Amino acid sequence: MQSTMILPRLPVVISLGFAIACGVLVVPASRAESLPPQSVREAVAICCELAHAAGSDRQSKLAVMTDSISSLPAAWIVPCLSAFAAATPAGSNWLRSGLDRAVDRLGDSVPVDELAAFVGDATQTPRARSLAFVWIKAWDGARAAALLDSMIDDPSLDLRREAVEKLLMSVAQASEATQRDAYRRGLASASDVDQIERIVAWLSEHGEQMDVATVLGFVRNWRVSKAFDNAQGVGFAKAYPPEAKDGCAADTTGWKTVESADKHGGIDLNAAVELKKGVLAYAVATVEMPHAGPAEVRIGSPCAVAVWVNGKPVMAHEIYHSSEAIDQYVATADFQTGGNTVMVKCCQNEQTDPWAVDWKFQLRICNAFGKPLATQKKNVGDSDAE
Amino acid sequence: MWVIPMRSKKIVRRKKRAITSMRFTSIRWIVFASVACLAWGVAASDWPEFRGSLGRGVAQGDAIRMRWSESDGIAWKAALPGRGASSPIVVGDLVVVTASSGARQDRLHILALDKSTGHIRWHRTFWATGRTLCHPTSAVAAGTPASDGTRIVAIYSSCDLFAVDMAGRLLWQRNLAVEHPRSGNDVGMAASPRIIDGTVVVQIDCQGDAFAAGIDAVTGEDRWSVSREKIASWSSPLAISVPQRGGREKSECVLLQNPSGLELRQAADGQLVWSWKGVCESIPMAAAMGNSLYVPHEGIAAVTAATGDTKPVWRSTKLSCGIASPLAWGDWVACINRAGVLSIGNASDGLLRGQVRLTGPFWASPILAGTTILAVNQSGKAFVVSTDDEPKILAENELPGTFTATPAVADGSVYLRSETALWKVSPQ
Repeated sequence: MQSTMILPRLPVVISLGFAIACGVLVVPASRAESLPPQSVREAVAICCELAHAAGSDRQSKLAVMTDSISSLPAAWIVPCLSAFAAATPAGSNWLRSGLDRAVDRLGDSVPVDELAAFVGDATQTPRARSLAFVWIKAWDGARAAALLDSMIDDPSLDLRREAVEKLLMSVAQASEATQRDAYRRGLASASDVDQIERIVAWLSEHGEQMDVATVLGFVRNWRVSKAFDNAQGVGFAKAYPPEAKDGCAADTTGWKTVESADKHGGIDLNAAVELKKGVLAYAVATVEMPHAGPAEVRIGSPCAVAVWVNGKPVMAHEIYHSSEAIDQYVATADFQTGGNTVMVKCCQNEQTDPWAVDWKFQLRICNAFGKPLATQKKNVGDSDAE
Repeated sequence: MWVIPMRSKKIVRRKKRAITSMRFTSIRWIVFASVACLAWGVAASDWPEFRGSLGRGVAQGDAIRMRWSESDGIAWKAALPGRGASSPIVVGDLVVVTASSGARQDRLHILALDKSTGHIRWHRTFWATGRTLCHPTSAVAAGTPASDGTRIVAIYSSCDLFAVDMAGRLLWQRNLAVEHPRSGNDVGMAASPRIIDGTVVVQIDCQGDAFAAGIDAVTGEDRWSVSREKIASWSSPLAISVPQRGGREKSECVLLQNPSGLELRQAADGQLVWSWKGVCESIPMAAAMGNSLYVPHEGIAAVTAATGDTKPVWRSTKLSCGIASPLAWGDWVACINRAGVLSIGNASDGLLRGQVRLTGPFWASPILAGTTILAVNQSGKAFVVSTDDEPKILAENELPGTFTATPAVADGSVYLRSETALWKVSPQ
């Protein structure tokens, strides 16, 4: 009797059972473990663990931890931002994903005052301050704008850029003299090439004698070698005589002196050496550094390049005709006070496309904010110039 | 040497027969795609990845609106927080799109908008861990995200790959340029990921550390990874079902294309099924239909998907691709050349059926919507072209902005992404 009653409903029973089973299966067990932290200390500890994330392991656990911090109360947001200080690239994103969700959830309860104080504290991690600024800007644009007034020399490149931008905007309707002062002030602080170029363009249009290559500090005086073979790219890895003396400057006797007149300090090797494919050339410059210590060597080239400082290899990129940009490749090198020798190996390949003709590079030496450090007095072997 | 079939007197009769058979082939194709979509967790009406379901560029369902402008036929427009060349995808009630922002374009965005209203449901931002230089015509957000209905994977030129669930919760990330320090290029990486049977396939073709990988969609861990020739390419992986030898079972594979040729690999374990040598275009990807691949190779070459036979079934230099990928449907193949000429040929033998001159340049690939081809040029002019006996322009619609993203179509609505905005064109 019972079985006859159940049978017509069997499909319903099976479907219900299946749905319940699926429901159980689709809720990962790990989600059930994402409990909110019980104290600010525990919250910071979770954030620090997220910040150390690396590789592809344990990601489901990390996802659960972001669930946990997405439920943070407002007062714990700022303490958790301290975890960015030791964050890996992956860790920064894990941390951000959880904290962004927490801020989204908090809405109007976002602790704007505490975040503003954090942003104003230049000793905190630039990335964390920049993130806090984004949150403030989303909820209180005027408050965020007011913070920028004291950030024109900020260690955070993002905040510094916004501060310079605000300064320039603020004088848009002012007298030319006021604008000139603002643009000069902006130029002293700006670190992004596009922003610097805009400022230099305005100042040049208004009578200032300046050029972008000088402001950006490109190394413009070089000694350039003859062409060496790079057929089928064999020359990139081959140590020709200029690079054979490990730790010593190359002998540039007989090399050609080349001074760049290019807006971006480019050295055109097609013009300086010869218009030829499948070759490479070396270029050597002497730069003066005010202090000993590390500095950033920034080079841009559509061709394969390698760089040495005082005979020590700094970087090598075997990439041909894959775009070019100012500061395309950046590496840190140790410099000594006074004269230093920089050598570039620039390799041209055998591509015949019309866009693969360029054989050139530009180089500058900067601090971490892109401010030029090196000056030039005299080329290596100037007395031997042709 | 390959044989290029010559035009014969039977073309007109063949055309008539072909138009009739196209209807049946289209129905077969729609049934196949619908079943595949349901099996993979997305609805047949979704547009879940680059060039839609399975990357075929074919929109099912209703025909699209014929005419629109900034002030007419637009359901909504949404400003985006940064630049991008990636296409939107449509999954359930969400439209998902990526962008990048900041002076260094190192802020990577994933946005999910309400399909009906255009309102932002959620917005996630991450930081790039790899290089973010790129050519002005491209963008850091150039690869189109993909979804299996449960999660969304988004890739950027910095070789960062993020998987989020449908509520925007980060599930896993892979910083591929950290793992492969010389991967990427400064023109900008643009290959979109493809989710095939639970494996996220990424294709990182560049002059540095070139590789392809199959990543577990659930855990984010590698299922396989293979080195690739050190040569730049911007074409995307393509999902292909290939019959297994001697059986009726099909094997889910991925086609990887670079300028040196093609590789077909098992999606699950990366095992090489076949490789095919021949100069292929570096940007447009092959189109697939049934057991045929239509490869941008000195024009278009038809290659048998199951075997990758060295000798193509046919090759036509009259069917030529510029940047946009070819389109295959029914009995036809279509492509847009660098001069902006849309050509349609027979899928069976490559014979040219007709041409119509559009105005380029075209970065976005053409798609089939109902019985019309939609082709959007860089300046935002969208051409609606007939696919009947002779192709002709049925309508030209213009929106402001720079458009390099291939449109998405779902439920008769067209989603057009300019560099900085997303538009929904209402159904007719």
